[in-house]
Amino acid sequence: MVLLENDSFLTELTRLFQKCRTTGSVAITLKKYDGRTKPVPRKGHPESYEPADNKCLLRASDGKKKISTVVSTKEVIKFQMAYSNLLRAHMDGLKKKDKKSKSKKTKATQ
Amino acid sequence: MPYYQTWEEFARAAEKLYLTAPMKVRVVIKYRHCDGNLRIKVTDDAVCLQYKTDQAQDVKKIEKLHGKLMRLMVSKESGAMETD
Repeated sequence: MVLLENDSFLTELTRLFQKCRTTGSVAITLKKYDGRTKPVPRKGHPESYEPADNKCLLRASDGKKKISTVVSTKEVIKFQMAYSNLLRAHMDGLKKKDKKSKSKKTKATQ
Repeated sequence: MPYYQTWEEFARAAEKLYLTAPMKVRVVIKYRHCDGNLRIKVTDDAVCLQYKTDQAQDVKKIEKLHGKLMRLMVSKESGAMETD
């Protein structure tokens, strides 16, 4: 799992989307992150991490390659704008709803 | 595993679930361009909410919900709801 900076994550995520256009899926996971870098200790050992409340973890994968990044309050605005644009730009393979004409594009020309 | 039929129900349930267990809940989005569909799942490993779609109009909704949850996660004050 590669932990990247926000910008690098966005670049790599773009590459994942481009790679998966013909086959495969892109999975993106979002989770609140409290800043711990070590596994949860077994009982008897004191927790030695400082709890942070303002971060979230983003992971992405195409099944083979895995990338991740941590976003905190300071970066979230900028990151979210770039991220939304990215999603909207790449998730364009879905059906568009047209009420009047029935899908002209998908009719195969013989 | 139940797939919600309407986006509104899913979005409401997802936000509610996150607010009850912010540290446990994770959001997963899976996009398949070759099949032309998109799925979103919100779970706290006990309850699982899912929504799937093949409509382009849902991309914006999913992306907005994702952004909303992201902002909730990084905000320090609990219960701070932003109106979009």
